[in-house]
Amino acid sequence: MNYRRTEKPDIKKLWDDDVTKMQHMGNRKRSVVLITIIFIGFFAVYLQLINLMVIKHGALSQEAEQQYFRTVSLKPQRGLILDRAGREMAVNVETSSLYAVPSRIRDIKKFSSCIAPFINVSAEKLSSRLSALKEKNFMWLARKMDEETSRKIAAFKNKQKNNKENLQEMDVVTETKRYYPKGQLAAHVIGYTDIDNKGLEGIESRYDRYVKGEGKKIMLGRDARGVNLANNVEESVPGNTLLLTIDEGLQYIVEREIENAMTRWNAEGAVAIMMNPMTGEILAMANRPTYDLNSPAEADVSERRNRAITDFYEPGSTFKTILASAAIEEKTVTPDKKFDCSKGYIYAGGGKSIRDVHRNGVLTFKECVQKSSNVCLVQVGMLTGEEKYYKYIKKFGFGEKTGIDLYGEVSGLLRAPGAWSGRSLASMSIGQEIGVTPLQILRAYSAIANGGKLMRPYVVSEIISPSGSIVEKISPKVERQVVSEETARIMRDILKTVVEEGGTAQKASIKGNLVAGKTGTAQMIDPKTGKYSSTDYASSFIGFVPADNPKIGLIVVVYKPRGEKYGGVVAAPVFKNIIEHSLAYLDIPMERDENYVILVSKSR
Amino acid sequence: MIDRNLLKNFDWSLLAVVLGLSLMGVMTIYSATRPVPGAEQSSFYLKQLFWLFLGILCLFLTIRTDYRWFSKFAYIFFAVGAIFLIVVLIAGRAGMGAQRWLSLGHISFQPSELFKIFFVLAVSKYLSGTEHRVRLGFRELFKIVLIFVIFPMVLILKQPDLGTAMLLLFIFFSMIIITGIKKKLLITAVIISIVSSLFVGNIVWTGLKDYQKQRLIAFIHPESDPQGTTYHINQSKITIGSGGVLGKGYLKGTQGPLRFLPERHTDFIFSVFAEEWGFTGSVLLFLLYLFIILRGFDTAKKARDIEGRYLALGVALMLSFYFIINVGMTLGIVPVVGVPLPFMSYGGTALLTNFLAVGILINVRMRRFLLFY
Repeated sequence: MNYRRTEKPDIKKLWDDDVTKMQHMGNRKRSVVLITIIFIGFFAVYLQLINLMVIKHGALSQEAEQQYFRTVSLKPQRGLILDRAGREMAVNVETSSLYAVPSRIRDIKKFSSCIAPFINVSAEKLSSRLSALKEKNFMWLARKMDEETSRKIAAFKNKQKNNKENLQEMDVVTETKRYYPKGQLAAHVIGYTDIDNKGLEGIESRYDRYVKGEGKKIMLGRDARGVNLANNVEESVPGNTLLLTIDEGLQYIVEREIENAMTRWNAEGAVAIMMNPMTGEILAMANRPTYDLNSPAEADVSERRNRAITDFYEPGSTFKTILASAAIEEKTVTPDKKFDCSKGYIYAGGGKSIRDVHRNGVLTFKECVQKSSNVCLVQVGMLTGEEKYYKYIKKFGFGEKTGIDLYGEVSGLLRAPGAWSGRSLASMSIGQEIGVTPLQILRAYSAIANGGKLMRPYVVSEIISPSGSIVEKISPKVERQVVSEETARIMRDILKTVVEEGGTAQKASIKGNLVAGKTGTAQMIDPKTGKYSSTDYASSFIGFVPADNPKIGLIVVVYKPRGEKYGGVVAAPVFKNIIEHSLAYLDIPMERDENYVILVSKSR
Repeated sequence: MIDRNLLKNFDWSLLAVVLGLSLMGVMTIYSATRPVPGAEQSSFYLKQLFWLFLGILCLFLTIRTDYRWFSKFAYIFFAVGAIFLIVVLIAGRAGMGAQRWLSLGHISFQPSELFKIFFVLAVSKYLSGTEHRVRLGFRELFKIVLIFVIFPMVLILKQPDLGTAMLLLFIFFSMIIITGIKKKLLITAVIISIVSSLFVGNIVWTGLKDYQKQRLIAFIHPESDPQGTTYHINQSKITIGSGGVLGKGYLKGTQGPLRFLPERHTDFIFSVFAEEWGFTGSVLLFLLYLFIILRGFDTAKKARDIEGRYLALGVALMLSFYFIINVGMTLGIVPVVGVPLPFMSYGGTALLTNFLAVGILINVRMRRFLLFY
């Protein structure tokens, strides 16, 4: 081998031959041009690299994320709602929901016609909805399907698996759905949720932030072919469990009895609230008409209204207890003070007079309340005076919300003395010209029952975390001392005397326990005329039992009963039935052997 | 064995860079074809590794022989390659809308890829033979265009493989521009090619497959078809852009494995690389390719003879065009024509061919001082 560098090759030498040299020069110039072009190409590519990776990085990575993370916020498992004994009032069941990825559907028409029959919509409607969202990565097709539909869709997907035109553009996720095992029971207290498990009514709404749990985002990591990777990036935390003050058994008794009353009196509506007068715990709260919590959409708005707190009515005679308490507390009267009621009517101001149902003679104050004498109570009202009476009405919690832990409560109707007419004091003495909710008046009676303390009513007693620890324990709250314990005791005694000789509420007598209570029969305002209706009444009964050591406070209001109007006839028997069954249910021992009658006073 | 003196001049750095890129390619293929949960890792990366060993083997086998020996039989190689192109049209295996592969047992083989190197060999040989005639005349040009370009291009277009056909054309014209064509003729050729391209373009257009037409339309009007072809380009841009300056990290990329990016392990391998290694990694990658290409031109400059020079030039041009067009395509500044990234894209024949090409560069460079053999 010879490696002579210096020796020149004969024909193909580069530099000697003129021709080659010339050519070489030409090549060189053109080579430079070509290499420059290649460099420009390199440079262009480099610039675009900067553009995409540095300048547009933010926007592009966002786009990438959007593609990858088809995020679906799935509400986590809601907390349970239990009654005071731990019985399930609201639980969760797993259901399947079907969604589509519109941006990946190539043939919307075909897709729609395939799927529509399963989910009960027309293919045209589905296809137009998909077209409207075709840029989007997510669209629900059917939420919380029943088992049969889910099964059919799963079978259909399975069948299509090997098909090229497969339906990977849609998939099924598991969602939990609220289920109310007791259906109608305590519907207005418990409430319901929307399709996204957001509480809409009742406890579900009021305590939504406690029961809803930590929002879970399902990163529906999906690859481009739609294969579901379903990486739950965020773990879901189930919501807290709520322990109610409601007792399922008592609630059942109450619901059953007002249902019976509805039928018996062909009434438009009814409300019953049972409360522990010592603590303010609501033991039962029922409304008629009612609805099934598992299908709230089918119910009318009026059926979903919790009249116990959202509707006010004129309390009538039941309100006389408030005036009586005020008068005794202010020492305006004593139980034995005598009043002349022999005229049978009394001038009320504004050119009108108020009459008694029966003509009475001279009565003691105690007897006035017992017999519910309008003539007497108007006199007491006059003696007490506007300002003082108004002060006690306010103190008893009227004209303000009770503060119960439910949404939608109203404060009723109460005008300040400045706005009163000449007749107002007389009217209000017998429970007119004032609007109260059933809960407000029950709360006021509870104050008398418990020694003068106005309690804040509540329906949730404990919030318990998923791990079982107590997040919050709600304890009874005394709003204020309304009247002295002594006044309360006197009032209890007066209310008890009503049921003794001379009382009129035989229908409310209860075997073995002393009950204190009062009827009310109030004309309802006709919304058409704005005047008192001659046919529509709200018949009510409020009482507590046992009278000396009250365990149960109960109000029953029946709206627009037909055939009878008096609270002592319409509401008292309902009260009696509820109390009797409840006492048995609660195993409260009888105080006396003989039959004991509750006070009942008929007004008008 | 290879002479020790030859070994002294062996371009180890070029081989190292090429090997590095190829291994990077295998790694990226592995990442790009990562399975979705529950599925199994595909064996693409193993196959690529196999072809890489084969490529290295062939590289060492071929550099033992002086490149002039290959040059001597260049036309025969060209003819054999052309026959393969015909065979593939008759007996080839179709895939992804094109008939490009020949099956040899378990191994698929893509004749059009291997043909590139025979094409460079033949064109170089021819041009080095015409050297003494100063510059090409019109008749001659017409003749060689017909034989070297039109004939194989028609065969390749028939598969269809638009990208390879176009690149052959680029390489050919670049080479004749450098090696010798009269200025007048060059201008005439440009004019004729513009005029005829309108005519031929029409024929080609009607001959194109639908997906190819869509690609071209989409390149001109990206908004026309968000789900189809632009989808590819957009996905690639998104993939690259989401990498950012430092990248998501190896095996951390999402767009490729989740198949948002089509052709993730073949033509769009660069996008997957860029997503994981970021701008920094991409610039380094660019520098490696730049090194190979500059080394190619340098080898051409230093070559012992015209044949070696043209061979090196042809190889350097080939690699440059492939790189720029592929990366430009993934970055959305060049239409999607389906051209692989040298050394990195999945594809055995392409990898082998590229190693043979690098073998030629090493061969020429190694023997640059040899006058007698």
